[in-house]
Amino acid sequence: MNILSLSGFIPEQICDTVRFTGYSGNISISHYCQYASDYISQVLYDNSVDGAVFPKSCDSTRIIKSYLGETDKFVYQLPVPARIDEYAIDYFANQIKSYKQAIEAHYGFEITDIADRIETINRRNKELKMLYENLEMISYYDYLQGIHKMLTKPLMEQSTPQVKEKKSDGKRVFLIGSFLTSENVLNVIENSGFKVVGDNLPESGRLANRKPCEIAGDIYINIAKNILSSRLSPTQNNFSEIIKDDINEIKSKKAQGVIFLTQKYCEAYDYLYSVYEKKLNSEGIKSIKISLTNSEGSKKFELALEAFADMI
Amino acid sequence: MVESAIKLQSTLMREYYKYFSKYARGAAPDKKVAWVTAFTPVEILETLGMYYYYPESYAAVIAASNKEQSFLEKSEQCNLSRDCCSYSCCLEGCLELEEGPRGIPPKPDILIATNNQCNTLPNWWNILAQRFNVPLIVIDYPGESADKQQAYKYVTEQHKDLIVRLENLTGNKFDINLLEKNIQNSTESVYWWNKVAQALTKKEIKPTAIFDYISYLITQRCNLGTIELYQALYEEMKELPDADKNLIPIFWLGYPLWYHPKRYLSEFLDDFRICGSNYITWWSLDYSGSNAFEKLFSAYNYTFLNLSQKNRTERLTKQIKDSEAFCSVTLHNKSCKCDFVSAKDINIPQAELEIDMIDRNFLSLEKTKKQIDLLKDTLCTQ
Repeated sequence: MNILSLSGFIPEQICDTVRFTGYSGNISISHYCQYASDYISQVLYDNSVDGAVFPKSCDSTRIIKSYLGETDKFVYQLPVPARIDEYAIDYFANQIKSYKQAIEAHYGFEITDIADRIETINRRNKELKMLYENLEMISYYDYLQGIHKMLTKPLMEQSTPQVKEKKSDGKRVFLIGSFLTSENVLNVIENSGFKVVGDNLPESGRLANRKPCEIAGDIYINIAKNILSSRLSPTQNNFSEIIKDDINEIKSKKAQGVIFLTQKYCEAYDYLYSVYEKKLNSEGIKSIKISLTNSEGSKKFELALEAFADMI
Repeated sequence: MVESAIKLQSTLMREYYKYFSKYARGAAPDKKVAWVTAFTPVEILETLGMYYYYPESYAAVIAASNKEQSFLEKSEQCNLSRDCCSYSCCLEGCLELEEGPRGIPPKPDILIATNNQCNTLPNWWNILAQRFNVPLIVIDYPGESADKQQAYKYVTEQHKDLIVRLENLTGNKFDINLLEKNIQNSTESVYWWNKVAQALTKKEIKPTAIFDYISYLITQRCNLGTIELYQALYEEMKELPDADKNLIPIFWLGYPLWYHPKRYLSEFLDDFRICGSNYITWWSLDYSGSNAFEKLFSAYNYTFLNLSQKNRTERLTKQIKDSEAFCSVTLHNKSCKCDFVSAKDINIPQAELEIDMIDRNFLSLEKTKKQIDLLKDTLCTQ
C-alpha cells in the first residue's frame, strides 16, 4: 500500500500515507494550481504510487478527481467541512469513518491500530513543537527539509528531524503559506539575510501547534475535532481567527517582517493576503508576497527578497 | 390578462435596486440585509422577511455597463490578485471606489456564502466580512462527495441553524408554512423558466435575451413576479417564428460573456445558431422531497457544479442531444475552475476558448476567430 496524500486534512491516524512533497510532472492546466497539477502527475505516472487521497477543500482539490477519473488506482476524495462547529465535526467524523472503510475494502485488511497511531502522532507532534520553539537556534531550511522527509515515511518509522545548530543574526521573519514544496526557496530566504522565527505552514507551525488528540470516547469525533480545531487553513473560512493567531505569534516572536509564500492560482491564500496585508500594515509590520509557479520552485523572487531585506 | 414581460421586468428591477445608493437617496432599507452567493437557500431569507443581494450578479451588471476595467485595476492595487475570480475583483473595486452603474448595494447586516458552486465564494465572503465587520455564515454542501444520508443530516442541521441565527438577527418568527410557500414559488419559477429556456432550441431567438432573463431566476426566484414574468415571456415566445434550420446549431457551453453587448461572440457566429446553453439550466433547481428541508437539500446540495464528473457529463450530454447541436463553443473560464472540467468528456466538435466572463481584455479575438473557423472546417469535412 502506497497512498499519496495531499494536505494536512488527511487523517494520519487512520493509516500510513506518503505526503506529497513535490514532483516534476508533465501535466499543466491553465489557471490551475501547479502544486495540485504535480500531485495529479505523480498519482497518474509514478508506478510506486497505488492510491491517492486528497481533500475537497479548495477549487483545485475539488476537481482533482475529474483528472484522475480513468486511473484504476485507489482514489479517494475526503470532503472537508468549509466551516467549524459541532455539526461540521460530527460530519467530518463520519467522513473519516467512511475513508477508513474504503481503505479496508480496497486493500483487504482491517484497520485496528488507530489508538496506537494517535499516541504516536501526539508524541511526534510534541517533539516537533519543541523543535519549532527552537527555530532561533537552527537552520529553517534543514528543519523543513527534515519534516518533509519525515512525512514521506510510514508513521512508525518517522523520527523528529535532527537539525544542527545554526545561529543567525538575520532579519527576523515569519512565513505564511500552504505546504512548501519548494525547499530551495528557503535557502534563498536564509541566504538573503533572513532568519525564519516562525510560520503557519501546514507541515510546520500548524502541525507543531496541534493539540494532542484524545483517545477516550468516540475516536472519530476526536480525530475530526483534532484536525479541524488546530491552527486554521484559509479554506476553513475564518480569516479573522487566522490573522489573530498569527499576529499574536508574529509579535511574540518579534518578527520584523512577514513573507507570504503562495502557489500561483491558489485563491484561498490570494484572498487571505488581500486582507492580511492591510492588517499587518496597520500593525506596522512589513510584508512581501512571493507567488511560486510550480511545486519545484522558482528563482525569480531573489531580487524581490533582497529589496524586502533592505526595507525592514 | 397577462401583463407584458417588459412591464413585469421593470417592476422586478425597480424592486431589486430600490436601496442601491443611486436610487435610495440616503434611505436605509426597512428590513435586514444579507449579501448572498448565487446558490443560497434564499427561501429561508424570504420567509424571515429579509432583503438579499447578489454581489456576483452586480459584477455582471458592472461588466455589461462597460465599467469593469477600472474596478479590476483598483482591486489589484488593493492587493487582490487578478488571478482570483473576476466577479470578486470587479465588485471589490466597485466597493473600494464607491461607485457603480446603480451605485453601491445596501450595506449588509450579515453575509451568507455557500460552496455548492465553488470554494472561492466563501473565501471572497471572508474578505467582505473583514470590510463590513459583520457576521459571516458559510453553508457547506457536500454534493455527491458524501453519502446522501450523512449529507442530508449535515445540510439540514445547517439550514436549521441558519433559521435560528436569522430569527435572532431579524427579530422575526420563522413560519414553516411560509417557507413551504416560498419553495413552491421557486419551484414554479423554475418550471416556467425551463419552458422559456427551451425556446432557444426551437424558436428564432438570440441567446442575449435568455442570458439576461435568467437573472430573475437567480436573484428573485421565490418572488411571485418572477413566475408572472416567465409566464408572460413564454406566451410571447410561442409567437416567435421557428428557428432557422439553415444555420448550424451550436451549443454555448459555459458562462455568458457579461461584458459583451450580445453576451456571446456574435461577431464570429454568423453561420451558427445558438440552440442551447448549460448555464441557463444551472438555476433549474430540483426542489423534490416530502418536506421543506428535503426540498432545500435536494435543490442546493445537488447544483450542477456540485455534481461528480460522471453526472455532469451525463447531464451535459443529454442537454446537448436535446438541443440538437452539431458542435459547441466550449468556454474555459479563468474565473471558474470548477466549470473548467465540465466539458472534459463531451464528444462533439468544439471550439475551446479561454475566456473570462467579466474581463473583456482576457479574450484573444484573433485566436478565437481561428478556432471558430477551424470548427467550421471540421464540420464541413464530416
